Amino acid sequence: MDHKHIEMRGVRKSYRFFTLDDLSLSLEPGEVMGFVGPNGAGKSTTLKLAMGFIAPDAGEISVLGHPMPEAQAAAKRDIGYVSAEMRLLPHATLGWHMEFVKSIYPEWDGGYAATLVKRFNLRPEQNARSLSLGEHVKATLLLALARRPRLLVLDEPTTGLDPVARHEVISEFMDVLRDDSRSILFSSHNTVDVERISDRLTFIDRGRIVDSSNKEDFLDRWRRIHVKLPAGTSLPELPNVFGRVNDGQFVTLTTNQYSEGLRALIGPHVREVQRMNLEEIFVANVMYHREVRGS
Amino acid sequence: MNIITRKLIVKELYVNRWMVAGGALSGVASILIATLGKTGFNVGALTWLTTIIATGVMLALYGIMNERKENALQFVLSLPLSISEYVRAKMLGLFAGFLIMWSISCAAALLLVFLKASVPDGIAPYVTLLCVFMLANFAVVLCGALHAQSEALNSAVIVVTNMGVSIFMFTVGPMPGIQQHMWAPVPVWNDTFWTVLFCELAVLVIALTLPFVFAARRRDFL
Repeated sequence: MDHKHIEMRGVRKSYRFFTLDDLSLSLEPGEVMGFVGPNGAGKSTTLKLAMGFIAPDAGEISVLGHPMPEAQAAAKRDIGYVSAEMRLLPHATLGWHMEFVKSIYPEWDGGYAATLVKRFNLRPEQNARSLSLGEHVKATLLLALARRPRLLVLDEPTTGLDPVARHEVISEFMDVLRDDSRSILFSSHNTVDVERISDRLTFIDRGRIVDSSNKEDFLDRWRRIHVKLPAGTSLPELPNVFGRVNDGQFVTLTTNQYSEGLRALIGPHVREVQRMNLEEIFVANVMYHREVRGS
Repeated sequence: MNIITRKLIVKELYVNRWMVAGGALSGVASILIATLGKTGFNVGALTWLTTIIATGVMLALYGIMNERKENALQFVLSLPLSISEYVRAKMLGLFAGFLIMWSISCAAALLLVFLKASVPDGIAPYVTLLCVFMLANFAVVLCGALHAQSEALNSAVIVVTNMGVSIFMFTVGPMPGIQQHMWAPVPVWNDTFWTVLFCELAVLVIALTLPFVFAARRRDFL
């Protein structure tokens, strides 16, 4: 039976100064979800909950059909986890780590591992302690990918990487995506990386999910509308417009439900309708929800 | 014991191999120094004690606390194992590493007692109790490191257990059942010896069991 790869329902996790509240998300087989949020939004906490490293105070979590954290040993057999802050054992070489992981996972693909060693320009005889940040991320990625997991959980894997290393890492994710049955949950605050590989996006801020949709849907719905209002005129009441900046007779509107109907409603004063990139959509979305919550 | 636990125990022995080997070597070297007259005996005994205590502390520090601090714990926890399997593997792996060093160092000390004519065999029960005390002491340090997540608490456990060695020497050494026979030509394994040994073994068993009861059931491990 093909379960959802990740399913979280009504998950709550409280710390002294932070609460992840009523979190629900699901990841279908073959889906790539970009999990985007500012620093401290709850991305890493969510991913640690998915891995079973921490347990929720309330709610249910199921990964690859296994309840978490109770059945984490069985679930993790098919999960590859990479985090920017994760480190290998400092007193062992990369080669030792490869042998170690190979001895645990019968699915280990030695040929693919050798290819990744070359592609990432890594040296198996190098001690983990002497790896740079970029090499560390690539090494942990190699160890996760060569075991051919059904699910990849990636916690800000490109944070702190130089542009070349980022390109190498993202390209490898693209390769993984050729297999339709594998899925990725990819957290980041860098929308450019997320935009490249994700087909679904979930925005999180201050411990709450603020929006979740297909990438194309986000890009289609969100627009910035520039209006020039003649003196003495004003805009009618507009639905789904939640950003409005006035600069003299110029008004910039932000909507998450753009349609020709909305344009018609504004009338002949529209000067330009701009598509928004993912970063702009993310920032507008987060700011709007902060305002709503604050009011 | 499943395969992943076995692999992790072997991993502990591998990553700590130089520390264990260095400790064992230093323990044996200390005993050799102890054969070189009275001053040598004092210096050797002191370095022997320091070696066993320091190796234990370093194993707990590097094996548990540094793994957590340097985020290598995330790598280990990402493997297909449960929290209880991690705790079991960590306990058994580090304890096995310490046991290798401890066995070699303590065997060397007892050999010195029984083979060196100038050292009375009567001190053997006291040396045995001291050795078992240090094993129990390490189990307490290990137990503390697996439970305490703050560095301050871990440091406190280390300080208290280090002080425990001095307290042991000042309290068990002067016990009549021990002191009276310490300089005798043959060892006396009397009731006092067995009572102290029983207490040490009780501490050892409790310290080795507690992590399986509490740390292994912890729901948040990062």
